[in-house]
Amino acid sequence: MTARDGPGRITDAFASARAAGRLALVPYVVAGYPDEATSFRAALAAIDAGADLLEGGLPYSDPLADGATLQRASATALANGATLERSLALLERIAAARPTVPLVPMGYANQLIGGGDGAARARALADAGASGVIVADLTPDEGGPFERAARAVGLAVVYLVAPTTTAERRSWVASRSSGFLYCVSLVGVTGARASLPASVGRLVRDVRAVSPVPVAVGFGVSRPAHVRAIARTGADGVIVASALVDALGPDGTDLAGFTRLVTALRDATAS
Amino acid sequence: MTTRTGIVHEIAARRAADLERDLAGRSRTELERLAAAAPPPRPIAERLAEPGLHLIAEIKRASPSAGAIAADTDPIARARAYEAGGAAAISVLCEPHWFGGSVDDLVAVRGAVSVPVVAKEFVVDRRQLPLLRAAGADVVLLLAVLHPARRLASLVRAALDLGLEPLVEAHDAGELERALATDARLVGVNNRDLRTLEVDPERAVRLRDAIPGDRLAVAESGVRDAAVLAGWRAVGYDAALVGEALMRSPDPRATAASFVAAGRMPADPAASDRVPFVKICGVTDEAGALAAVRAGADAIGLNLAPGTPRELSLAEAAGLAAVVRAAATPGHRPQIVAITVDADAEALRAIVAAVDPDAIQLHGDESPGQAAAAGRPVWRAIRVPVGATPDDVGPILDEASVWSAAGAERILLDASGGPHPGGTGRRIDPAVAAAVAREVPVLLAGGLDPTSVSDAVLAVPAIGVDVAGGAERPREPGVRPVKDPLRVALFVKRARAARWDRPQSPARPTPVPAGLLEADATGRWGIDRAFGGRYVPETLVAALVQLEDAYAAVRDDPRFWSEFRELLGRFAGRPTPLYRADRWAADALARARASGGSADHRAGDGGADREPLPSRLRVYLKREDLAHTGAHKINNALGQALLTRRLGKTRVIAETGAGQHGVATATACALLGIPCVVYMGAEDVERQAPNVSRMRSLGAEVIPVTSGSATLKDAINEAMRDWVTNVATTHYVLGSAMGPHPYPTIVRDLQRVIGDEAAAQLAFVEGRLPDLVLACVGGGSNAIGLLSRFIGEPSVRLALAEAAGDGIPTGRHAAALLGGSPGILHGARSLMLQDADGQVVEAHSLSAGLDYPGVGPQIAALYEAGRLEVAAATDAEAVEAVEWVTRTEGILPALETAHAFAVLPRLLARTDRPAQDGWSPFIAPWPEEAIVLVGLSGRGDKDLAAIARWEAAVAAGAAR
Repeated sequence: MTARDGPGRITDAFASARAAGRLALVPYVVAGYPDEATSFRAALAAIDAGADLLEGGLPYSDPLADGATLQRASATALANGATLERSLALLERIAAARPTVPLVPMGYANQLIGGGDGAARARALADAGASGVIVADLTPDEGGPFERAARAVGLAVVYLVAPTTTAERRSWVASRSSGFLYCVSLVGVTGARASLPASVGRLVRDVRAVSPVPVAVGFGVSRPAHVRAIARTGADGVIVASALVDALGPDGTDLAGFTRLVTALRDATAS
Repeated sequence: MTTRTGIVHEIAARRAADLERDLAGRSRTELERLAAAAPPPRPIAERLAEPGLHLIAEIKRASPSAGAIAADTDPIARARAYEAGGAAAISVLCEPHWFGGSVDDLVAVRGAVSVPVVAKEFVVDRRQLPLLRAAGADVVLLLAVLHPARRLASLVRAALDLGLEPLVEAHDAGELERALATDARLVGVNNRDLRTLEVDPERAVRLRDAIPGDRLAVAESGVRDAAVLAGWRAVGYDAALVGEALMRSPDPRATAASFVAAGRMPADPAASDRVPFVKICGVTDEAGALAAVRAGADAIGLNLAPGTPRELSLAEAAGLAAVVRAAATPGHRPQIVAITVDADAEALRAIVAAVDPDAIQLHGDESPGQAAAAGRPVWRAIRVPVGATPDDVGPILDEASVWSAAGAERILLDASGGPHPGGTGRRIDPAVAAAVAREVPVLLAGGLDPTSVSDAVLAVPAIGVDVAGGAERPREPGVRPVKDPLRVALFVKRARAARWDRPQSPARPTPVPAGLLEADATGRWGIDRAFGGRYVPETLVAALVQLEDAYAAVRDDPRFWSEFRELLGRFAGRPTPLYRADRWAADALARARASGGSADHRAGDGGADREPLPSRLRVYLKREDLAHTGAHKINNALGQALLTRRLGKTRVIAETGAGQHGVATATACALLGIPCVVYMGAEDVERQAPNVSRMRSLGAEVIPVTSGSATLKDAINEAMRDWVTNVATTHYVLGSAMGPHPYPTIVRDLQRVIGDEAAAQLAFVEGRLPDLVLACVGGGSNAIGLLSRFIGEPSVRLALAEAAGDGIPTGRHAAALLGGSPGILHGARSLMLQDADGQVVEAHSLSAGLDYPGVGPQIAALYEAGRLEVAAATDAEAVEAVEWVTRTEGILPALETAHAFAVLPRLLARTDRPAQDGWSPFIAPWPEEAIVLVGLSGRGDKDLAAIARWEAAVAAGAAR
């Protein structure tokens, strides 16, 4: 394989969306939820309905940043036989089927770094076609070795900023994030919410002012109206996770409902 | 100079006008004659220099801030009540217009009590001083706010000339600077601003460090209750002047007694273990020798080195030694040390014959070979050049080890560079002294005085200090220096108090890699700093940083630790007993023999892992089961509840497995009135129903967690999710020494009282350290709490017992050390149970408190470094051990603790060798008489139902 440029592919995807006058839409699919075949179809459906990037959740036994929806999805996927190897194979199939959309898996530190520096995992992710990676419980304080390993294989390490992140720290985290910066909209765990916090506009403006990379907003984003509100903040992208898992229905197989929501969200990105 | 406005200047002006009238025509000579005729002054300084905080109780009928308080009080009855309550002195208001006082009150009180009396007067004219002395005053108040620096200093000198002890009162840094520029020995800080009458209750605490240790510090105003006085004692005040709180008491004797009690040094075996040995060196006269005895010095140095400034003749030294022997309480006599420089054998024989010292200090160029010829135990002074840097410690350490090997009983570090050995009055670079004192036990000498000694013992983990010039009167040329009794007393007091309320200050050598003792700035532990850290969602970083900052302040705040100790004592039942379990020990030794350990200590031919067993075994149990709520968990819960208050947070969350931490946290929250939510795995809620009821009775909300395996790890996940959501108002009271930085440090610090106490208690009954310290380990809070004190003691083996569940080979266990691998769990890198994908593997143990797939990072670091031996007990072995201990000792231990009992016979027979080799140099053969310390972490009532269910299931399985 030729040298990869994960960060470049990600920023290009944000730039194209911006050039088209809209937010980049980043839907989230849990690898292996409810099973491998359905999650593959969901991923392609999301891309075909207009995803600019795709975030793929790597099921984890102890997802402490996640709310009930994603915990349940993770547990179901694991119960149905999800392993890291299979998740990577799934990513690879998605990348082969839809090569233009950057894939950004999301996992937890112990899956990706554990007792070492994460070099083997970073290489495996890159080999599977991932452009970047989000580690829910990794901050730049601890991320140095993993960043180096990821950089060596052309994989972007996407960090998160939260409403509790101090202004000084915000700039520092942004400067360390590659591909894009994940702006957590609220103080809490993942999960669909009826409304976004009123403070999100101010937060995104503050984050964007110091970020050298595009800023995508996630956590709690559930409806087209939320996407339109985020578009008004000047963000570069929006991440929708739990609401899409909910849209798959109680058994995770309602691809029609899922596709309807992705389409509606995508339509809202242009407002 | 501040503007002369405000109530204090109004009062002063009125006082000046009064004096114009009262003193018209009276000459200074006449007034001084009156003063000279007064009964001799009663000394106060020596009393205040005794350990603790002393009460100066005030008689005050009214005040500008409070108005009339007790206008028609009987000053004599009240003063006698104060004295009966233990007040060190009585203060009497003399100002008539605002305070309703009078000199007549002073005269009456002075005649009615035998303690010194303070004239609380607004002194605006030096002629007031002889008048007050004539009325019987022993101490006079001088307000810095009323006087520019030169006048204040001259008033102080005038008072001293009359035999009146001045107490100079300041209320801010500027006034304090003027007060300290005088010769006053007593310096007060008033929380009340006398211009505005406003009280800032933290003012005295903030300003304490600005008062040098050779002054007596008095705190004033703002005493709501006895706890304020306990805090002032902890930060180093020598006295508290209390007025209104006593005047408003219906029972002044009782209230005074409660205030006096709050000022005493609290009993604390763990703290006494940190107190440095104090040697008063170069005593030259009887007064100095008596001062050292009275202050409770551990040793007195008599200098017999010819040509040195404090040289004594043999006869003088013998005389002073006799004074010390006659004055000291039997059993508490300071050791008498003869200081010599290059004395020959004949001179040493003469010294021994004449002075009969307890030790000879060799302070010259003697060689270690001469130690044996001294005729008494030898103390060696190693001279350290003042300009030495930490790079120069190698030769110093070499010299110390050569002398130790030659039998030197103690090693002193003294600064060199002056004309004579020792006594240069110069200080060794603290970094150099600390580098040496971390490796070998030393007494620190050179340039110490009552002002510097406190910082020195906090910066240097020396086991003792030595003072000569720093405790003397100002030198006069050509005159042999003499000790100042007050400086001697203050030196001893400051040295002893420095670490009392600072349990985190190292007090002895810890010759192990630093990474095994403390985390670095990023929270990493281990020789390579491979464990710990902070792996958390970004949302939590701010809260962890806030916690880290708040805890950094608390760690150095003696008031926090004083309050914590008080709660542990009054509420939680500390110190917990150390119990010698003889019947069980005999049984354990018999089992060890039966398992193949050799009974013949001298044989030593039992093969590589069969070393001789001890001939006798004494097992001591540290009885945390007797702490309130039945386990060690209360220590951490109370400490973190206090911390919650400091953080300004209003809600507490906690996780719990067996329910012990949940109960402890709910208890601490009930005590302090903080709402509490406990997350508990749904499976554990079922297994531990009695603890769920206890938590709910205590007012806590118990939330069952059904995600994942519905056990402890999932409860932690859910607590973290709550914390992520409510971080602004909520403190997460983590229950074990694990989790993201700074939790492993905080929980360890709060639990280390277990081992600190046990070491002191064991020293009291056995006079030495244990040979082996053993605890059970789940997350590791009781383990690290017990072990911390001993990590840096190379002679002590450390061992932990993990839960092997159905057996480690079955994969159904909770042995993160023996059966785990490095990974990241709950915010920190450590050892954990996981699969090849990094998925956390569920732990299995009948013991809910050990049923956790990880372990704290410091323990992982100790294990990887080879500083720990680890063994594991199965559920079956633990259940058997519960019954074994209960039947032989009448103590029902928790199932968790039972794992430790189960593995001890194997550890004795040494069939469990350290799994890791590498760095550890610690394995030594058993002594003939071995002492083992076991952490009895909790009581076992809670487990009886679970054990019965387990036994029934086993029986059913066997029947099939």
